[in-house]
Amino acid sequence: MTQTTLTPDAIAAYIASRIPGARNVRVEGLSQIPGGASRQTFRFRLQYDGDDGPVDRKLIMRRDPPASLIDTERHIEYAAYHAFYDVPGVPVPRMLWLENDPAALDGAFFIAEEISGFESGPMAIIAEPYLSQASRLADRKWTILGEINRADPAALGLTEVMAVPAPDQCWRRELDHWEKIIDEDELEPQPIIRAAIRWLRANPPGPAQKISVVHGDYRTGNFLYDAQGEIHGILDWEMCHLGDPLEDLGWGLNRIWCWGGDERRGGLVPRESAIAIWEKASGLKADPADLHWWELFNCVKGQGIWISSAKAWDDGTNREPILAFSAWRMLNTQDRAALDLMERL
Amino acid sequence: MTPNPQAILADFAARLGGQIMPDLKTPYAMSSAGLMTAVLGMLAEQFDGAAANLVEENRAIRALFNEAAELTLPGDLGARIGQLSAGVDDDLRLSALQAANRGLRAALIDLHAWAEVEPAAKALNDAIWRELSMSTERRRVSSAPF
Repeated sequence: MTQTTLTPDAIAAYIASRIPGARNVRVEGLSQIPGGASRQTFRFRLQYDGDDGPVDRKLIMRRDPPASLIDTERHIEYAAYHAFYDVPGVPVPRMLWLENDPAALDGAFFIAEEISGFESGPMAIIAEPYLSQASRLADRKWTILGEINRADPAALGLTEVMAVPAPDQCWRRELDHWEKIIDEDELEPQPIIRAAIRWLRANPPGPAQKISVVHGDYRTGNFLYDAQGEIHGILDWEMCHLGDPLEDLGWGLNRIWCWGGDERRGGLVPRESAIAIWEKASGLKADPADLHWWELFNCVKGQGIWISSAKAWDDGTNREPILAFSAWRMLNTQDRAALDLMERL
Repeated sequence: MTPNPQAILADFAARLGGQIMPDLKTPYAMSSAGLMTAVLGMLAEQFDGAAANLVEENRAIRALFNEAAELTLPGDLGARIGQLSAGVDDDLRLSALQAANRGLRAALIDLHAWAEVEPAAKALNDAIWRELSMSTERRRVSSAPF
C-alpha cells in the first residue's frame, strides 16, 4: 500500500491555512527521520513572514502510515502531549496542529515543535558519554514516570478524551485488548504467551491504587537525553490511556529493554533501583505481587506489538524495515522474558 | 547452493552496514539500512540451522503427544493429539516444516491448557514447559537483548 510522498509545498500550503496573516510560508529541509514505527516522522523548517516579522521554526510532523506497529488514534496522542506541556517536571514538545482528515496530506497527522540536539537511541545510552551518567539518567527517567503517574487525569482534561476504567477492571480491559490483537494478528501459534494469558486471568492483580495517566510505551528509546544525564523530552505517547500506574512501571522494567544484555533495566540501573525511584516520585506503592502481574502482562502486550508488526509486514500493508526487524528480534526475546517471569526459562 | 547462502547473507549485511550505510545522506536512509543489516544478519545466523531446528522441535512436540496419549484426554483433544503424534516430516522444505510446526504448536496450546489443571498430568505439564523453554533456545538470535 503506497502513500503520497510529502512535499514541502503541500505542507506549506496546509500550514498557511492554519496561521491567519502568515505570508510567504515556506518549508525547507523536509526529511523523514527514524522513529516511525507507529507514525511516519518528518523534520522540517518552517519560515514565514508574520505580523511581528520573520518567523523560523524547527518542526516535526507525525503522519499515520497505511498500517502501523501500534494502531492508535492520533488525537489521543496529541491530547496527551498537549496536557503535559504545562506540567512541571514532564518535558514534552509543544503541539501545534492536529489534522484528523486524512485527505489533507494523505494520512492524519499532527505537527509539533522539534526538541533538537539530543540523543534518543537505546543503544547509545549504554556507551559513553552517556554510560557514566546512567545513575542520573535513571533517576530522571523513573522520576518523570512517577510524575506522569502521579498526575490527576481529570485536572489535565484527559478524562474527556480517554475512557476511565474502574480500578478493579484496569487489568481486564488491557488484557482483553491485547489478547484480541494477538487473536487477530498472529501468523503462528504462541504457546508461551497463551500460557501467560491463562495465568494472568487466573491470578488477577488487586485494584489499581489510583486511575493514572499511563504513557503506554515508557522506555529507553522514547525520550531525549543528554550527556549530563538530563532528559529533555518524553516522546511516543501513542498508546497513552488511563489505567493502573503499575502498567507503565512494568513496561519499562521489561527484560526486552535490557539493552546492555544484563540486569540493568532500560540499560540504566537494576530493577529494584528503578522501582524505588518511581515510588518516591509518584507517592505510590509497587506491590510486589501486583507488579509481577503487570510485568507479565507487559510481555503479552509486547508480543501483541511484535505479532502485529510481523503481520503488517507479511501481508504487505506496511513494509517499513522496522516491522520486520522488530518481529525477528523481539518475538523470541519476548517469549523468553515471559518464561523468565513465570520461572520456566 | 554456492556461494554458501549463509555467507552471502552475512557478507551482504556487513557490507550494507559497514560500507554503504555511512555514505547514505539522510538519517532515515541510514536507519533503514541499519535495520536491513540487522535483519540480514539474523537471517544469516538462522539459515543453516532452520530446517534442523524445526525437525527437532516437531519431533519433541510429537514426543510430548505420545506421552500425553498414556493419559485420559478429553475426547476431541485426545483424537487430535493422537493423529498429530503419528506425523512424520518427510517434506523438508522450510514451508512444509513450518506448516507442520504450526499445527503441532496449536495443539500443544490446547494440551498445555488441559495439563496445567489436570493433577494426573503434572509430569506432562512440566515436560511441556521444558520444551517451551528449549524452543526459545532454538529460536534465539545472538543480538537479542535477552
